Amino acid sequence: MRVAIAEDSVLLREGVAQLLTDAGIEVTARCGTADELLAHVAHDPTDAVVVDIRLPPTHTDEGMQAALTIRQRYPDVGVLVLSQYVEVGLAMRLLADSAEGVGYLLKDRVSEVKEFIAALRRVADGGSALDPTIVSTMLKRHRSSDPLDSLTPREREVLELMATGASNAGIADSMVITQRAAEKYVSTIFTKLGIPATGSESRRVLAVLLFLRS
Amino acid sequence: MAAVLPRLPERHRAPPKPALLWTLGVAALASCAMTVVLALSEDLYQPALRVLLVIWTTLPFIFAGIVAWRRRPDSAFGPLLILAGFVHQLSILQWTSQPLLHTVGQLCDLLVVAIWLHVFLAYPTGRLAGRTERAVVITAYVAAVGLQIVVLMLGGFDDRHLLTVAEQPAAAEAVQNVELLLLSALVLTGVVLLWRRWRLLPRWQRRRPAQIVINCFSLTLVMLAGLLIAGAFQLPGFEIIRLATFAVAGLAPLAFLAGLLDARLAKAGVGELLVQLQASPAPDLRELLAGALRDPTLSLIYWLPKYGSWVDQDGNPAALPEPVGGRAVTLVKQNGEQVAALVYDATLGEEPELVEAVSAAAAIALENGRLEAELRARLQELHGSRTRVVEAQQNERRRLERDLHDGAQQRLVALALELGVLAEQADGDPATKTRLKRARGEVAQSLNELRDVARGLHPAVVSGHGLAIALESLIAVTPLEVELKVDGLPRLPEHLEVAAYYVVSESLTNATKHAQASQVTVDVRVADKTLIAEVVDDGSGGADSERGTGLRGLADRVEALNGRLKIWSVAGHGTRVRAEIPCG
Repeated sequence: MRVAIAEDSVLLREGVAQLLTDAGIEVTARCGTADELLAHVAHDPTDAVVVDIRLPPTHTDEGMQAALTIRQRYPDVGVLVLSQYVEVGLAMRLLADSAEGVGYLLKDRVSEVKEFIAALRRVADGGSALDPTIVSTMLKRHRSSDPLDSLTPREREVLELMATGASNAGIADSMVITQRAAEKYVSTIFTKLGIPATGSESRRVLAVLLFLRS
Repeated sequence: MAAVLPRLPERHRAPPKPALLWTLGVAALASCAMTVVLALSEDLYQPALRVLLVIWTTLPFIFAGIVAWRRRPDSAFGPLLILAGFVHQLSILQWTSQPLLHTVGQLCDLLVVAIWLHVFLAYPTGRLAGRTERAVVITAYVAAVGLQIVVLMLGGFDDRHLLTVAEQPAAAEAVQNVELLLLSALVLTGVVLLWRRWRLLPRWQRRRPAQIVINCFSLTLVMLAGLLIAGAFQLPGFEIIRLATFAVAGLAPLAFLAGLLDARLAKAGVGELLVQLQASPAPDLRELLAGALRDPTLSLIYWLPKYGSWVDQDGNPAALPEPVGGRAVTLVKQNGEQVAALVYDATLGEEPELVEAVSAAAAIALENGRLEAELRARLQELHGSRTRVVEAQQNERRRLERDLHDGAQQRLVALALELGVLAEQADGDPATKTRLKRARGEVAQSLNELRDVARGLHPAVVSGHGLAIALESLIAVTPLEVELKVDGLPRLPEHLEVAAYYVVSESLTNATKHAQASQVTVDVRVADKTLIAEVVDDGSGGADSERGTGLRGLADRVEALNGRLKIWSVAGHGTRVRAEIPCG
């Protein structure tokens, strides 16, 4: 797999590059700015990019804009956005059209090496990776007569995993259950929440997110 | 007592000596007596009527001229009126048979027409304003004297004068007709010029009663032109036209005098001003002064010695205009120090005593007005410093957040990454691996805490991605039913977005924690160059911006941006918080 990185902190950029290299991923570019990344992708569309949301010169939304541009112009390039904060509003924006080939994670997640690499591979393959804190903050909103109240604790756990972009196999793996059991949980949740079942894993990310937001 | 230092263009000519004016008055009466004597000694047609007409058209000119000269020494108009009166007196010398005096009388006969035209065009300054006016008046003088001499040389009129060179009655008559028609054309041109000048006057001057009276008397010129034409073509009714023209002309000087002394009449307004000043504890001084000086364009500025600058009534910095461009300035002083300045239409500059009287009458009020302006200036300064404090605080918080983000947070992430990689690689020793993972967890916890601190310092998402996205994130973590209306919200300057963000954020916190609300509407939009952020909840109400620091802080933040924070919160009826911040 080939990946380009855009991160203005040299320490972090090199750390992530090393991490990816150690995992057998080829790092094709180490960019300090959004423009460098865009130029590189235009010249050599990689499987995925890892991009910091705050980049020079203004450190406001250059990384975000680059991510949106790449998603629009190069749908085959997976985009994994890293940030010191995750914001629901930004997640909605990134996933506005689809959750395919897109990820949005807290920067700290790079230290959970295996999970991070797995998330990156998923995004490169057209899947999604949403930071668990997004789902958990949204779940924390307690509303009266909430259909979420009807979920069992196990089902909530599955919902959270599902919303982060995990596949049924991934869910089964995390919860130490069979894949068959995971599938059953998923369909129960969809029924209880009244969400129409969808085939694709990334589509159900969006569906869950929209449900939680409404 | 107030001392006034006028800064006016072109002043002051000394008033004429009273002895001179007395002499002129006596001379006028004497010449009237002479007219009577002449009329009685010569064999005249309708002597009484003719004497009456002459006196009617000379005495008003001379006496109005005397009053105008004394009251308006700066204006040459008074002397011009006097001159017109005496020229007319001279023209009656043609009644006598004494050859020299008769010649002088004949020469002055039509000079009266030229000088009347001059009088009308030279009102009110006594000077002819434009090149066209000068050309018309000079041509009239040349025609009235020059062509008259030619007529006399050709033996025109009768044989009692001294100038006859050749007896050419036909030629004399032809030249005289040319003279009469030319003069009537010039007089009509004068009427057009007067009309054009009136059109160019400021609206308020056009409507002055004295100006309207003067416009009516311009009709005298039309009648005069008619008289000249009637004379040239020897039309019937010449005598009647002459009677009517002279009857009206005798009143014209009084209209001019009224116009000139209009300002005198306005002095009655000074008394009224004093009454108004006493009646109202906090008068709009500019309005009153504008009324008393009858100049609606008048402006009033104050001198603030503490600031070393001029300010308007609201305390905004203002500049003292130079006395050019149709504006005149009068400085008002109190105890030797300048207090205020009146800026007014320069045509009022011809009435310096009026301006002096009015500013003296308003001296105490002006001093009060200055104190008030100073207070306003200080309030503005205070407001400005509050704005600066809020801005500085916000800038500092943003800088700290940025420093945390670029410094400690990045380093801690790098550290966590390092620990994570080490934990992956330490596959041999489970104890080491566990400790590394625990260390990584500690770092992650520190990062979480740091994130909360940074987020509390400054909402970076607002600066980075705008109010709409920031609010969407905010309501996503608010445990209430929130309806968010931010459609079509444009990006705005950062400090406005941040202020609106805090308004919504604080209101949502209050609705959740204190008001036990269940439903909230958040509506943020731009209308009429104003950013409006409104949060309405269905909670218990009873919120008060004076209680608790949250709402008070919000109000400070909003007011520092020249905005307003309004709170409606009646116990049991929910709370509505509305911030309006100008963003034009």
